[in-house]
Amino acid sequence: MIKEEFDVVVVGSGHAGCEASLALARLGNKTMLATLNLDSIAFLACNPSIGGTAKGQLASEIDALGGEMGINTDKNILQLRMLNTGKGVAVQSLRAQVDKHGYHFSMKETLEKQKNLTIRQCEIVEILVKNNKVVGVKNSFGEEISCRAVVLATGVYMESRVIIGEWTKDQGPNGFVNSKGLSKNLQKLGFEIFRFKTGTPARVLKDSIDFDKFEEQNGDENIQSFSFLTKKQPKNICKCYLGYTNEKTHEIIRNNLHRAPMFSGMIKGVGPRYCPSIEDKVVRFADRPRHQIFLEPEDKTGSEIYVQGFSSSMPVDVQEKMYRSVEGFENVQLLRNAYAIEYDCINSLELLPTLESKRISGMFFAGQINGTSGYEEAGAQGLIAGINASRKLNNQEPFILGRDEAYIGVLIDDLVTKGTNEPYRMMTSRAEYRLLLRQDNADIRLTPIGRKLGLVTDERYKIFEKKLKLISKAQKDLDKMLSASEVRKLYEQKGESSQSINPLAREVLKRTNISIFDLKEHFNLFKNIPENILNYVQTEVKYSGYLKRQQMLIAQMRKNEQIKLPADFDYSQIKGLRIEAQQKLNKFKPLSLGQASRISGVSPADIAVLTVYISMKNKQDKLKNGDKNVREK
Amino acid sequence: MSENDLIVAIATPYGKSGVGIVRLSGEGCLTLAKKMFRPFDKKCDFTPNKMYLGEIDLGDVKDKGFVVFFQSPHSFTGEDIVEFQCHGGIMVTQKIVDMCLTKGARMAEPGEFSKRAFLNGKMSLDEAEGVADLINAESESEMRCSTALARGELNKTVTDIQDKLSDIVCEMQAYMDYPEEHIEEKTRSEIKAILEEICQQIDNLLATSKQGKLCKFGVDVAIVGKTNAGKSSLLNRLLGTEQAIVTDIEGTTRDVVSGVMEYNGVKFNLLDTAGLRETKDIIENIGIDKSKQTIEQSDVVLLVIDRTRQMDKQDEENLCLTQGKNRIIVLNKSDQKNCATLDKLIGKDKVISVSAKTGENIDQLKKELFDKAFDGNFVNNSLVITNSRHEQVLREASEIAHKLLSSGDDLFFDCLTLESQYLWEKLGEITGVSANDVLISKIFSKFCLGK
Repeated sequence: MIKEEFDVVVVGSGHAGCEASLALARLGNKTMLATLNLDSIAFLACNPSIGGTAKGQLASEIDALGGEMGINTDKNILQLRMLNTGKGVAVQSLRAQVDKHGYHFSMKETLEKQKNLTIRQCEIVEILVKNNKVVGVKNSFGEEISCRAVVLATGVYMESRVIIGEWTKDQGPNGFVNSKGLSKNLQKLGFEIFRFKTGTPARVLKDSIDFDKFEEQNGDENIQSFSFLTKKQPKNICKCYLGYTNEKTHEIIRNNLHRAPMFSGMIKGVGPRYCPSIEDKVVRFADRPRHQIFLEPEDKTGSEIYVQGFSSSMPVDVQEKMYRSVEGFENVQLLRNAYAIEYDCINSLELLPTLESKRISGMFFAGQINGTSGYEEAGAQGLIAGINASRKLNNQEPFILGRDEAYIGVLIDDLVTKGTNEPYRMMTSRAEYRLLLRQDNADIRLTPIGRKLGLVTDERYKIFEKKLKLISKAQKDLDKMLSASEVRKLYEQKGESSQSINPLAREVLKRTNISIFDLKEHFNLFKNIPENILNYVQTEVKYSGYLKRQQMLIAQMRKNEQIKLPADFDYSQIKGLRIEAQQKLNKFKPLSLGQASRISGVSPADIAVLTVYISMKNKQDKLKNGDKNVREK
Repeated sequence: MSENDLIVAIATPYGKSGVGIVRLSGEGCLTLAKKMFRPFDKKCDFTPNKMYLGEIDLGDVKDKGFVVFFQSPHSFTGEDIVEFQCHGGIMVTQKIVDMCLTKGARMAEPGEFSKRAFLNGKMSLDEAEGVADLINAESESEMRCSTALARGELNKTVTDIQDKLSDIVCEMQAYMDYPEEHIEEKTRSEIKAILEEICQQIDNLLATSKQGKLCKFGVDVAIVGKTNAGKSSLLNRLLGTEQAIVTDIEGTTRDVVSGVMEYNGVKFNLLDTAGLRETKDIIENIGIDKSKQTIEQSDVVLLVIDRTRQMDKQDEENLCLTQGKNRIIVLNKSDQKNCATLDKLIGKDKVISVSAKTGENIDQLKKELFDKAFDGNFVNNSLVITNSRHEQVLREASEIAHKLLSSGDDLFFDCLTLESQYLWEKLGEITGVSANDVLISKIFSKFCLGK
């Protein structure tokens, strides 16, 4: 029974599903977004914030390519902060507290207004596949919807189970219903299913907190916000607070460890190392006398408070004791308990860099179903899956971002070449070319690409072009010769050595103690150029040596990417490779030496073996061909 | 594909030796060997790892020798191997190789045995390099260096440096990736102290590479002096009659070697530089240019002066020519009446009186030569860098480390971390451990991170 025909069906309306369906619809594909519950669209199931280290970069990259996350964040900001100021621009990241309800509503509104997009509340239980090709989906009502591609963005909903102490229930986060059967369908289609675990802390009543016992945390003023389209920084309208657990809290936890599902064996899913529950922290870091907790408002009323750092799956009575042991929480009222949630996801190694299944044509995956964690990671994958599904349907080349182009490139390359055995979170340390992948240049890196893809609107592109013009204007000023005597004066004033002065503005700016604003002030440069442009230009000059080094490394990496590996080769023939490497290489059949070098379980020594082997093989092939030529003559 | 086609090569060092070994590796090597070897024992079945005495067919002649069969995978290369053990010297070994070639083997490329051993999982990259050096080891001390490497001493030392670095990198990284976790910032002075230590360690390793090279290739000693100063007799005295290798061995990078002397297990290539005088004769001029070049490229210069005569213009020219070189001034003919004015020579140069004729002070000269070559600090029985790839990596690492140290407080934290990581990865080119995942795992195991 064919209900209706679509180009693509997106399953799930979380952060991945929203980006995927918007990209698909905006690129002109007739798209359906199927969700278990319309009230869960772009729902911030865990912390009410967007961004953070490396995640801020991801959000900006989504925005630069023409995605929605940045715009939607800027509409709902409660507090905005720039993290890591003073540690270098490469690791500076934006983080915003947002109104979680506002975030949901404004995204829902965007989806509803989007041309080519149909939203429907229904549960997809089966992907219809013919000859290893997606032909449609089936929902729990028994309706079949025909489509040529599907993007699966089920988040943590597949066969999910919530656990609080001895209590457990098959349901999704926040009491939403879960998805039943789709996971089994995927298994039947041949996908390997993993079981991952994550958790969230309790939400507490604002009026039951003694805020005097906590340290206030305010937002930053005058900083760039998430979207390059946003002209004025949104106002900081809320405060956050910092507090600590104590020995008493830890004692309560230790005394009740036998009731913790993590340790009683009730939880079987693999949880992330970087986001441990409080009981996990107390066990693993037994010597720490205290752990930090942050109080964050869930929405602009601020009546409900999210307690970051205090996630747990202890029984409710233990939770209450734990929370109340914290100074300032003596009378705290738990509105929603902390819980752990287990869910099914697939092995991301089964995916191509386009996020399409290697085996089933037209089947794309994005977000937590691929084993990641985090809204930004999900959104980024949704966007890439959406773009590639569209390109596939329209017979266009696949779109793949390199590790040197974007955090999104690092994220997806890690997923499809290394895989993950715990929920994957983006970190700056994962990006080897992070000096180039900054938040302040996301648009310079990606907006021209987004324009070519067709997602960057005229409005966005105009703003971008204007920025480029201002940058080149500022750079022209850097080529000016300044008065040497004035430069000397400035150096003396700023404690710079005044020996061997090169009065070229660019060279003056390279001095450690001279900022671009000193130049502006003393030499009347950079007229009518806004501060954010000057900051960008300054970074490019001050980091030039290091940026060059990274460019050099990229050139080397690209060389390895160009050494192609035969697709049909049996790696167990090379005995010099360790068994693990042989198996991994045979399983993944990397396309290039570069990709092989990033597969986990393939060591640099294995790569050396491969390199020797390939050069030997090429030499022999050449010899053989040479012989043939001789004989033919 | 023919990865294991038959290759053959002389396994013992090229040149004079008591025993020569020719190694044949690959599929069918035993079949080939049987065609050119007749065992004396009629019941011989070529049991692996057993030596069989017999007659090796060398075409025009036959020679007595041994054959040993090593069965795959229990052999050096992991393939079937046959080794011919025969009388030493170039002649016999070369004839065996020729015979193998006519019977279907091909000449092995340099290092191809090691390469195969490596490809067949018989050794790590690091070991492979060490073994290759071992094969080329021509003298005792070089053997020492090579085995140390094979044992992984270099690996241990470099891993130690990497560990120190990863401590800094992980802490800085966690500090940046988790700004809200109140991870204590490593202070600049702490980082500086560790970096200083690392620089020192890398430079210590690098310093041994000079010794390593000298051990591997031998110390080039240019003997300079006018005719009749007693150069040739000194040369002969140093070589000792029984050791003297009087044939000219044309080295690839060296000049003409007049002889090789061994002292304390180190090879000394004695290079003769005849004819250092101004002349209009074209051919002689070429000779002089060549001599100048020899002096330039030598590690130590022995300037020989006849102490029974006044120094003349030519002696002075020779002094001038070797100025600035690592030199020892040898006053020869100490057995005869000396000429007092020569004592004025003594400046900062090492001067030693010897008699090539009687052998007086020759041992002392050898010792001085040894000390001069190694600046008086020869490291015995310890880790010495002999591999030029390792040296190159360490040189680059040293450069990065020193730059990191000198840029000090001016460096932004993100660059400092990246550069430290870059250094860590550079060192990984020696240890083979340079995966980013290793660092990330370490961050997690060290810090309590989360939301």
